[in-house]
Amino acid sequence: MTLIQLTGVTKTLRGQDEARTILSGVDLTLEPGESVAVLGRSGSGKSTLLSLIGLFDRPDGGQYLLGGKDITRVPERRAAALRSAEFGFVFQRFFLLKHLTALQNVSMALVNGQGWLPRRKRRTTAMEALERLEIGHLARHKPPRLSGGEQQRVAIARALVRRPKILLADEPTGALDTDTGNLVVEALRATTDEGCALVLVTHDRDHAAKMSRVARLTDGVLA
Amino acid sequence: MIRLSGRLRSSLIIGLQGIRARKLRTLLSMVSLFLGVLAVVTVQAGSVIAQRALLADLELQRGKDGTLLMYLPSEQGASAITLDAVAGRDDAVAMTRAQAIIGEPGLRPVNEGGVPIDQAGYGPPPQMVCDDHGNCVEQSEQDDEPKPVGQAVELSLIGITGDVREFRPFRLESGEFVDFDSAPSLAPRLVINKHAAEAFAAYSVPAEMRITGASANPTPLIVGVVDDGGWGPTAYVRADELLNWTEPAGLSDPNYGGGIELLASPTATDLEQILRSRFAANDIPTEFQVETIDSLEQMGSQISLMRWIFLGMAALVLLIGVAGILNVGLATVGERVEEFALRRAVGTPRFLLAGIVLAETLLTGLLTAAAAIGAGVVGLEAASRLFASREPFLANVAFPWEAGVAGVIAGLVAGILGGLIPAIRAARIPIATVMRA
Ligand SMILES: Nc1ncnc2c1ncn2[C@@H]1O[C@H](COP(=O)(O)OP(=O)(O)OP(=O)(O)O)[C@@H](O)[C@H]1O
Ligand SMILES: [Mg+2]
Repeated sequence: MTLIQLTGVTKTLRGQDEARTILSGVDLTLEPGESVAVLGRSGSGKSTLLSLIGLFDRPDGGQYLLGGKDITRVPERRAAALRSAEFGFVFQRFFLLKHLTALQNVSMALVNGQGWLPRRKRRTTAMEALERLEIGHLARHKPPRLSGGEQQRVAIARALVRRPKILLADEPTGALDTDTGNLVVEALRATTDEGCALVLVTHDRDHAAKMSRVARLTDGVLA
Repeated sequence: MIRLSGRLRSSLIIGLQGIRARKLRTLLSMVSLFLGVLAVVTVQAGSVIAQRALLADLELQRGKDGTLLMYLPSEQGASAITLDAVAGRDDAVAMTRAQAIIGEPGLRPVNEGGVPIDQAGYGPPPQMVCDDHGNCVEQSEQDDEPKPVGQAVELSLIGITGDVREFRPFRLESGEFVDFDSAPSLAPRLVINKHAAEAFAAYSVPAEMRITGASANPTPLIVGVVDDGGWGPTAYVRADELLNWTEPAGLSDPNYGGGIELLASPTATDLEQILRSRFAANDIPTEFQVETIDSLEQMGSQISLMRWIFLGMAALVLLIGVAGILNVGLATVGERVEEFALRRAVGTPRFLLAGIVLAETLLTGLLTAAAAIGAGVVGLEAASRLFASREPFLANVAFPWEAGVAGVIAGLVAGILGGLIPAIRAARIPIATVMRA
């Protein structure tokens, strides 16, 4: 079944004085295990699109189906539950909490008021996620003592810990050097082998080429 | 249920992580709040303690709140009617007042006029004798030979028809109170107040008791000492034991007011009617005075103004503390914008985040309240030890629970005031912050 289906999605953002239409009719379908690279100039609305898919925000027009269900106008309460259960997020900056260890940073996605896992279960689940990204040995380290690539992999582990159906990554390699970036993109792509869908926003054509599809956002339309 | 407790536990973990990561800040906001809460606790404790002391005095001297108080005449057989009317009732007690001298026969009392023993020697005010033209002269000693002074004490002799402690909670200092279960004794059994006890301690053993108008001088028996809140030496005795020695009218000495004081519980409303009708039947004036004791109200007006002024100042100090906690709270939220946006991105509901921020300041407020209440308890204990000898009302004072409640409320209110705005801000952080940062 189609995992995600966007039809004619529009979004207008209100700036200082005049409103600007960022997305003017985006169509996008995504099947389980599929990966899409989204390219586009800076300011073209890539992050805005990702924030609609990830239910950070709602579209102004069009339709958004998730697993066949219309969630175009889903209320915030339900959206929070969906973000927790269906989506994983990776950002350009890693957003790890400095005062927590790598392991705690991963299990913090399990402590979000959506269901409850006992402490021991949280630890093993988070540890598995770290080990999938081959950084289990860093579990006790706090972020300031990790390299950029290690931090981003902790962030990916955090995104994967609830085994989401869709992984959304917004320029995850933007702050990394080429080799580390390649490593991170490969880690993201590997999740699609297990049936996870991936949307990767990137400026890097090589990274884009590793996805099953490439789409370009120009003038508010995805082509 | 499970969902709720999952939320609760999640917020507990997140909140504690937040506090642990910012121990110094939490401590600083506690410091800023501490003085305010302490001020509230102190004012409340002070006013409650003062109120207790005042109320205890008022109850001793006048009677418990709500007690009916009647001032009845003693002339023309009114005494006998009154004593008869209260006989056998356990909701009313009559008190007669006469003057008595206890001591060796034929001596002038050391405290003539029944004044407190430490004021003895000044004697009663001189009696004035006036002629028909209004010329007054001081009355000279009538006796050719004034009696020698010493070894006798003059006191007020209060005859009671029941246990007055029901209405006036005298504190028993030693011995026991007048016993109404046994048959009346020929030797009147006296319970004396502290002033009388002091007098007897200084001036020897009582031998006989002289009562104006009595047929003979009985030998009294002192069975106990009470604190009655009164100012002069006083003895309490069963009225029926005095009646062995004097007429009902003799129980009330016209030189010392002469009337009968009647204390009755608020439910004894029939008593007034009974007395009025019986008085009327015997041609006794019926316009006696009846009042209801309202100690609380009387005292309230004395204390409340000061209390409000002090509470107002305490509230001001508390407000400064709230401003401090608010300042720290806003700074913390500003610092945690990304954390909150991230937590929302991973699915934490916004109301949960607001709740966590609020809970963190509430916890800070409550911890501060606990510290301030603890300081109040310790301070009161110390004051009680240091100053009890100078200020008797400070002896053995218990920390008033009202002050504890006031402290907790102050802590909670400060927590809510200081946490609400940061909580609302935390809930309003857009998730997209994590993509634009
Ligand atoms: N809250 C907002 N109000 C108004 N305009 C906004 C707001 N947020 C973003 N924009 C504008 O929307 C446009 C699209 O922003 P967006 O972040 O989606 O671009 P992007 O394609 O992700 O760019 P980049 O590659 O630089 O990250 C930008 O021109 C930006 O200035
Ligand atoms: Mg962007």
